[in-house]
Amino acid sequence: MITLEVYYLLMAVAAVLSTVATYFAVIERDLVKAAIFSALQSSFYALIFYLLMAPDIFLTYVPVSVGLYTALVLILIKKTERYEGE
Amino acid sequence: MKSRMHAAILATIIIIVVVLAMAFALKGIALYIPPRNVRTLAEIFLNTTFNQWVNISAMAPEAVTAIVWDYRGLDTLFETSVMFIAIVGALTLSRGVGEKLFISGASEAGGLSVIVKTITRIILVMISAVGASIALHGHLTPGGGFQGGATIAVAPMILIVTFSVYFIVKRISIKKAVLLRSAGLGVIALSSFIVLIVALFKGGIAYIFQNQVKMFSPYSVPSYIGDSLVIGGTLLLFNAAETFAVAFGFIALLILITLPEEQFRKIILESEE
Amino acid sequence: MEIIYVLFNIAVLALIANIGLALYGVFTRPSLVKKIIALTIFSDTINLMVVLIGFRHAEPNPVPPILISIPPIKEDIITFMQKAVDPLPQALVLTAIVIGLAVILYLIFLTIQIYRIYGTTDVRKIAKLKG
Repeated sequence: MITLEVYYLLMAVAAVLSTVATYFAVIERDLVKAAIFSALQSSFYALIFYLLMAPDIFLTYVPVSVGLYTALVLILIKKTERYEGE
Repeated sequence: MKSRMHAAILATIIIIVVVLAMAFALKGIALYIPPRNVRTLAEIFLNTTFNQWVNISAMAPEAVTAIVWDYRGLDTLFETSVMFIAIVGALTLSRGVGEKLFISGASEAGGLSVIVKTITRIILVMISAVGASIALHGHLTPGGGFQGGATIAVAPMILIVTFSVYFIVKRISIKKAVLLRSAGLGVIALSSFIVLIVALFKGGIAYIFQNQVKMFSPYSVPSYIGDSLVIGGTLLLFNAAETFAVAFGFIALLILITLPEEQFRKIILESEE
Repeated sequence: MEIIYVLFNIAVLALIANIGLALYGVFTRPSLVKKIIALTIFSDTINLMVVLIGFRHAEPNPVPPILISIPPIKEDIITFMQKAVDPLPQALVLTAIVIGLAVILYLIFLTIQIYRIYGTTDVRKIAKLKG
């Protein structure tokens, strides 16, 4: 039986895990790994959008942020430099 | 050594977050708690979204799509124009470079192996079907114009990676894609005037972006057929045109960003002199 | 009610920590591509907090703002008004996501052009070149 506390517990867990992913995305010096961490953080945000009862935004956010942003940033890295300078 | 320092900083941040949350809750004040009743404006929207006893109803069971295309339709028209301006800006940065320069020496035999190409051909049809279903059901279930367009735009990206970019440039050029994108924007701007034109022919009053019957003008696009088949009035036209426009806008941008680099550098450096 | 307060506060404070980390990434990291990634994270977190304001604690469970029975009778509409979440922030966030996508797309094209002309994407080296 799904009570209301399960929603709040999943929201808190997803928010804390997205903070972990953001920290690693900002600190990392290899830019390809930073783009993959950014995609991981976007999927945790998509879970929070679903738990907040917003299905329209969930359907917009998943192809835009996990699919198109990540692909465009990876093509951008291929055309410029891969490692962040000193 | 460095990884231990990173783990320590991360653990400190998480412990500060949890301890502050408990301190806020135990003291009786909370940072923000979700209320039990929504605002009056939200009650008006939820009451009049599919209500045949009120005369400002939008006649669509989905409240978010009705707000986006009927109650606040002008916002969405200008949001689509902002996306179009971004495409124009990206095209301006690469003037003097046409994709005809790249085709002269390239062949179509490239890309990944045969297994990947066959599976891509099957998945392409499935992605397009799912995207069209999301777009055309936008007035009944969660979905709509931009959602369907963004889902369909994943398919040419997969095509460019598994086949080569010359496979797509030979079939759709950048100019044709931008032309189709402008045609979609034109259909959106035109279908906001439909009821106004019909009413002016018959000599009555109507408003721009009118979908259903309003207080002084009894003209509307039909939203019901028979007893329980909901079409949604102008929402269906808007959703279909927006999907078409977004998909072709993304095709133009993806072709522009994946053309190879040597020719760009030659043309830009020699125009810098 | 105590457990619900603690869990919701954890979620809100973790999102505020995300905003702080993303702004740190925009200000201090020297690579243009890293600045673009951090700006994306910042704008997504702000959109999430706007949708968080529209949530509603309805007993026994809240419902997304979509009517299920067609055509509805009057009791359906009254039950719907007492259980559904707010639909207005979701419509505004849809517009905000599209405009954010357009701006970041243009920034990506500008970064490629800077690399073609100057040969580097490091902000400190570009500042020394002086055009």
